[in-house]
Amino acid sequence: MKKMLCLLLIASTVSQIFPQISSIIPVSSSIAGTSVANTGLRSEFQNPAMLGYAKNSEIGMQHENRYALSELSTNSFQALLSTNAINADLSFSYFGYSLYHEMMTGLGFGRNFSDKFALGVRFNYYMAYFSASNSYRGALFPQIGLSYRFSSLFSLGFSTFNPFQTNIKTDFTQKRIPSIFSLGTEYYFSPELVWLAQIDREISSNYRLATGFEYQMLQQVSLKLGVYDAGYLVPCGGCGLKWNRFLLDINCELHPLLGLNSYAGLRYIFSR
Amino acid sequence: MKRIVVLCCLLFLLINAAYAQDASTTIDQTIADIFEQWSAESEEVPDYQTFYEELEFLAENPINLNHTSREELSKMLFLSDVQVENILAYLYQYGPMENIYELQLIDGLDMTDIRRMLPFVMVKKEKAVSEKIYRYDVLNYGKNELYMMFNRDAETRQGYQASVSSIGDSTNQGKKYVGSPWYHSAKYRFHFKDRILAGMTFEKDAGESFFGSAHKGYDSYSGYLQINRLGIFKTIVLGDFRANFGQGLVMKSDFSMGKSSYVLNVVSRNEGLKKFSSTDEYNFFRGGGATIRLPRNWETSVFYSNKMIDADTVGGVFSSIYKTGYHRTENELNKKHTICQQVAGGNISWRLLWLQTGITFVHTNFDQALVPEKTTYNRFYFSGKAQNTAGWNYRVHWQKLNLFGEAAVTGNFHPALLSGFTLSPLSLVNLVAVYRYYSPEYDTFYALALSETSRTNNESGLYLGAEINPAKKWKISAYADSYRFPWPKYGIDAPSAGKDYLFQTDFSAHRRLSMFWRFRHSNKPANISQENSVMPVVKAVKKNSLRYQLMYSQGNFSFRTAAEGNMVQKGENADYTYGLTAYQDLTYEFSSLPLKLDFRYQFFDAVAYENRLYAYEKDVLYAFSIPMYYGIGSRYYLNLKYELNRQFTLWFKIAQTVYADDREEISSGNEKILGNKITDVKFLLRFNF
Repeated sequence: MKKMLCLLLIASTVSQIFPQISSIIPVSSSIAGTSVANTGLRSEFQNPAMLGYAKNSEIGMQHENRYALSELSTNSFQALLSTNAINADLSFSYFGYSLYHEMMTGLGFGRNFSDKFALGVRFNYYMAYFSASNSYRGALFPQIGLSYRFSSLFSLGFSTFNPFQTNIKTDFTQKRIPSIFSLGTEYYFSPELVWLAQIDREISSNYRLATGFEYQMLQQVSLKLGVYDAGYLVPCGGCGLKWNRFLLDINCELHPLLGLNSYAGLRYIFSR
Repeated sequence: MKRIVVLCCLLFLLINAAYAQDASTTIDQTIADIFEQWSAESEEVPDYQTFYEELEFLAENPINLNHTSREELSKMLFLSDVQVENILAYLYQYGPMENIYELQLIDGLDMTDIRRMLPFVMVKKEKAVSEKIYRYDVLNYGKNELYMMFNRDAETRQGYQASVSSIGDSTNQGKKYVGSPWYHSAKYRFHFKDRILAGMTFEKDAGESFFGSAHKGYDSYSGYLQINRLGIFKTIVLGDFRANFGQGLVMKSDFSMGKSSYVLNVVSRNEGLKKFSSTDEYNFFRGGGATIRLPRNWETSVFYSNKMIDADTVGGVFSSIYKTGYHRTENELNKKHTICQQVAGGNISWRLLWLQTGITFVHTNFDQALVPEKTTYNRFYFSGKAQNTAGWNYRVHWQKLNLFGEAAVTGNFHPALLSGFTLSPLSLVNLVAVYRYYSPEYDTFYALALSETSRTNNESGLYLGAEINPAKKWKISAYADSYRFPWPKYGIDAPSAGKDYLFQTDFSAHRRLSMFWRFRHSNKPANISQENSVMPVVKAVKKNSLRYQLMYSQGNFSFRTAAEGNMVQKGENADYTYGLTAYQDLTYEFSSLPLKLDFRYQFFDAVAYENRLYAYEKDVLYAFSIPMYYGIGSRYYLNLKYELNRQFTLWFKIAQTVYADDREEISSGNEKILGNKITDVKFLLRFNF
């Protein structure tokens, strides 16, 4: 019981401090969560327009651990199918523990139009378990994304998650599904160095400003450095490793109050 | 849930649609873009229907640049006086144009201006001759259009709900709407070239009854007939019409040229008598008028109007005119058509190539006296049954300098003056300066000139504007306006002064990509309530706003991304409050189907009313929305245009605003909606025959 109370206390603190980042939405593999305009990396439940830029099919899984508490972890999975006409993905995410957990499944479609812009939409079904009623409640909502490439160096991305502010209502409570507006840019200083910047706004929370650099040091190794501000200034770092068709991304961020948040994602890219 | 699925399926279909192709910008979109820029910094949206109809008519009857006049070119409201003069100077210097590409050689016209001009101009060597009007031609070649529009909110407003307290209480009955929540209007338009124009408009606002106890039919009826170039008559108008003369100090019932990001366009244009075809229920004349061409470049206009207006009459007098046109409750119905207003006026002008001058006179008469309830701010407002106003206007063109102005007096000899110039010292630089003085006692019914407020009185000020093209693809526009109110105004309980600055940079990378940054600073006086003061204290309200907008098109897709933020300080030591909005537009025009879709998602965050934000959104034909946002929430809409065949075109729009600031009701009084959502549905059908 004591453990449960501690968990609830920490979970509520986390949700107060990071209200714009819902636990059920996995953190992106881009540094500081700057994925909305990042044309090079794809992540589960991020801007669906980015699916359009995938040239190969791929599968990936990731684990995010918050502050060394297994109960606050999010696990997710993504399978991406690339075709000539349209790219599609199936994503799944799980957060929580036995008495409280949330799940989300998404079916996304994205297409790249003449390499000038890409559009995407994902249909997400969110489900939460309510121990009070010993039942699951769910809701369907879309996620819409757009990315335009003004040149080979500069692109702009926009994404909205749950734009219609769909919520789950039970007899006892209302579970709010986050509604997020994101706008970001990507700029390549050189083929090796990219600068990403992003602003997010969860409709009932504060703004989140994030920026970061990703540097492809070697063909197999990339380094990432960034920072975001959402009430507290949080530094972020990470690296990417490439081995044959495997990609491994490891990111971490140091919250000044709560400690270390770590992320690891593994992807396998199929040949065309 | 069904709505979400339908919207998402539409988006999904959109993604699956054909690859991008070059899409031509439609006239609708061009007109809407011009209007958006023109009204972007205005809190009062001018009459879009009139604006749209005039430019649409111009697109159907384009100006032949080789045989044009200043008056004709001035109909393109997005061109400045300097640009109009430059076009005329080019034609005078080099003779008729060979083709439309020569527009690029004219000083002061950038690619954006030329692109906007293209739908409204043509180049032809031969001059169109004014033919006789034959009945056969009118009947066989005239164009007819019929419009039917429906609009309503999905949620039920308080005014449509039965009130328990109103049962058996006759005094409370008046607070409830007598009609249904549907808005409906029907319009019929006829035109034969640009010679004969006729039309009728019927309208019922939401809440007004239709074939009920209050009305036997529509609430509002309007009709007009305009004939152009008939013998000595330049224009004849019968039915409902509008009149505009000079700089608007005496007579301007049309839209005004106020402060906007078209910084040079502060000079009033578009003079004369013209039809009224809007659904506005106040701002027009009902009767007849004519403009006659006289020898030696003289021209004269006369008109007479007799119509019933709305007012709350008590004891044979009324305190104010009720202008909204709403007749939804017993109280509003009791004000309907209670006063007879007669207006007679005229103008005589002398027009040469370099000089234009004229005199305007207007007499207004009511059958009952207007007696405003006297307070400090309205001490000098007009009071009585009859009013006379007269003015003299001029315009002189010399080299690269244009001088213009108007001086006017009311019957009791209180003056108003507006005078200014436009100058183009270099081809890349255009300047404008306007001085205005409207005495506190100058209060006339149809004045609409450059002003900080909607009322043309009790103000003096100096407006300076500049437009510079420092490099190819770049344009800088700026204005500075300093003004003073010598007597208290509504909401300002002391003589006061204010400032207003705008700075905008436009970058047009190419035809498909353009963007702008707009900064505006205003320092306006306003009453501010303070805890330690019984009376409100007049203090400066400072507002800084910054807007970035990016327009990008690729094939059949076009995108618009915009973000705007502002910060407001009420009084010197007060804290700043902030507002922010951002939106993403996506438009797709199908190649294989006559279908066009617009989708927007927008969020806004402006907790304080002072930080309210405005953002233009696409709408059905003839409708133009610049909704105001404050609070926290999001808005999205889907706008659809489908051409069923050559005769029928359909527009449909559904828009929803969802507030996320835990509010449990929206609006107040009879307009109140319980909940945090408001949904608006519009439907318009056009039939051409």
